[in-house]
Amino acid sequence: MGIKIVKREGGSLKDRLYIPAIFGGMKTTLRHFITNISDTSKVKTFSYPEVQPSDITSRYRGIHRLTKREDGSIRCVACFMCATACPAECIFIEAKEREDGVDEKMPEIFTIDVLECVFCGGCVEACPCDAIRMDTGIFSFVALKREDFVLTKERLLSHEAKKETL
Amino acid sequence: MAHITVDGTLLEVTEGALLIEELLHNKINIPHFCYHPSLGKDGNCRMCMVEIEGQKRPQIACDTPIKNGMIVRTKGAKIDQVKRAMLELELINHPIDCPICDQAGECQLQNYYMDVGLYESRLSTPKTHGQKRVDLGANVVLDQERCVLCTRCVRFTQNIAKTNELGVLKRADHSVITTFPGTQLSSPYAMNVVDLCPVGALTNKDFRFHKRVWFLQSQEAICNGCARGCSLFVDHHKEKYKEEVIYRYRPRLNVDVNGYFICDAGRLSYKNENACQGVHPLIRGKISESEYAEGKLLKLLKRHQGKTLWLISSTLSVEEMVRVQQVARTYGSFVSAYGALYEDVSFGDTFLKCSDRSSNGRSLKLLHIDASEGYFETALDEATLVITVGRNDVDTLDAKGYSNSVVIVSQQPLEACEGVELFLPMSSHMARDGSFINIDGRIQYSACAIPLSPDVKPLLSILANVLNDGVFTCKEVWEHHLSDRAPFLDVSFENLPIKIDL
Ligand code: SF4
Ligand code: SF4
Ligand code: SF4
Ligand code: SF4
Ligand code: FES
Repeated sequence: MGIKIVKREGGSLKDRLYIPAIFGGMKTTLRHFITNISDTSKVKTFSYPEVQPSDITSRYRGIHRLTKREDGSIRCVACFMCATACPAECIFIEAKEREDGVDEKMPEIFTIDVLECVFCGGCVEACPCDAIRMDTGIFSFVALKREDFVLTKERLLSHEAKKETL
Repeated sequence: MAHITVDGTLLEVTEGALLIEELLHNKINIPHFCYHPSLGKDGNCRMCMVEIEGQKRPQIACDTPIKNGMIVRTKGAKIDQVKRAMLELELINHPIDCPICDQAGECQLQNYYMDVGLYESRLSTPKTHGQKRVDLGANVVLDQERCVLCTRCVRFTQNIAKTNELGVLKRADHSVITTFPGTQLSSPYAMNVVDLCPVGALTNKDFRFHKRVWFLQSQEAICNGCARGCSLFVDHHKEKYKEEVIYRYRPRLNVDVNGYFICDAGRLSYKNENACQGVHPLIRGKISESEYAEGKLLKLLKRHQGKTLWLISSTLSVEEMVRVQQVARTYGSFVSAYGALYEDVSFGDTFLKCSDRSSNGRSLKLLHIDASEGYFETALDEATLVITVGRNDVDTLDAKGYSNSVVIVSQQPLEACEGVELFLPMSSHMARDGSFINIDGRIQYSACAIPLSPDVKPLLSILANVLNDGVFTCKEVWEHHLSDRAPFLDVSFENLPIKIDL
């Protein structure tokens, strides 16, 4: 494994004096203050949950989904790479023989406990088949029972990718 | 003795031996597919190339006899280039199925590729295809596309199993492994080809898709399927929020007993272990706490002092047997092993499998535990309490017209508990360590103690509580009870495995 040497920033005299940086920060604060006071419609905060955020990009790590093949069937082959990579160990898979001729293996059970999940995206990175994604845009997940936070294979398959609005 | 230099290091080796043998023996990484110590060289895969000084081209280490003073190089850009080219060739038609391949994680093709692979495909034509998911019989599944044609499996059926079911069909790119028309793998050792296959072409149908191998933990054990006592690896895993489960047994090299192989029956006997899970102590059929049940055992022993018969099984370890004898001596009871020795002529053969199915029957004789019917009947006449250990064959007692109290201490779940005063579960074979004497008199220690049922105690602990003498471990039992009695006078726990005269 190679070693990457990262250059440390902030060593210059200007950086070490701190004063210019403080003034730089104050400038931003003042600019926002004046904009907000002169035109309230430009205020960056909004009354959630009545107003929903509109700037969630497709790169945002929301609740997972299991993707499908062109024929609409599940893409996951139960290789367990996601479960292996998951630092929270919250992906539970049981594999079975796939009989429909599309592939040899598929998950019988595929559940993610989103209460345990830390939304790191490790599972998405690890998947060799692009079978799991976190691009649903679902950023808030509500349920009444703990058990409902354990998302089943069917539930994960029913999630769709968020439509790009930006 | 000869001396050779490998990558600048001087090694002392056997003259005339195969170079690859000595390299592997000295833990030098040398990629190879077709060579296997049990099958010898075949020279077909060309993965084991090394540079030998004085030779123009790289040579295969598996077919090079050692000469004194050889200078060998196994590393370096030149040799890596050769290996990379070989791997590229192997992978031209390979399906790269790793996500669905059970071998992934213990696949030599993956390992070598990670070391010296090309990492970029230069293939522009479609891959040739073979059959996938072919059931060869005997729990072996073949994927022709993943095969590297090392012929280890073919040579196994030819030279070891001597059943000759496998062969290579067609030529060149289209060569595939197949069974001869109308045949299936039929040898009782057939599943060894799964371990022999260096890639995922032959996989185990019984293990198929049950677990990715990198989750498994391995422990060393001795098989209890018959009197041979083959060495095993026990692969197990505890899933989050679940109990420990054994997923498979694999042969463990033991040149004195089983070599590189085990029989299929032994390999599949891991299921018995999992079947012993989920048992509870029962007092007259009612589930009870284990501490309470142990107290009950002690109470019964005291009440029936001098009138107790211990009926033990031949699956107990030497340590357990001698401890039962110790308890019996303390409480003046009888010990019998009637019906514990059983022969199964249909099981035995001339390779590994023995007709004697008792894993530790020899110890009964060595410890002078009577297995005769006469002794059993006399003891039974006097007994008011029978404690069966490691077995729950109440019908043996019924057949003799016995109608007094019965206590069962066993690893197997109880089928019917009628008339059983107390049922106390004990750890099954792979859940406790112990020593076993095999058919040749070899005392082998099985170290595997997987907590398959966390609430169930090993027999040694149960007996230590009965005797209240703090002798819990096998080592302590050897020190206190075994090393000072014939025929174990020269044996200590530390020098196991050791062969004694039967
Ligand atoms: S996002 Fe991270 S924690 Fe959540 S399931 Fe994926 S790998 Fe596990
Ligand atoms: S989601 Fe991807 S990584 Fe996880 S089991 Fe399925 S195929 Fe493998
Ligand atoms: S045989 Fe090895 S390289 Fe081929 S698919 Fe299986 S794990 Fe991957
Ligand atoms: S099936 Fe496996 S052991 Fe047999 S030739 Fe192919 S790679 Fe070798
Ligand atoms: S191991 Fe030497 S040629 Fe295959």
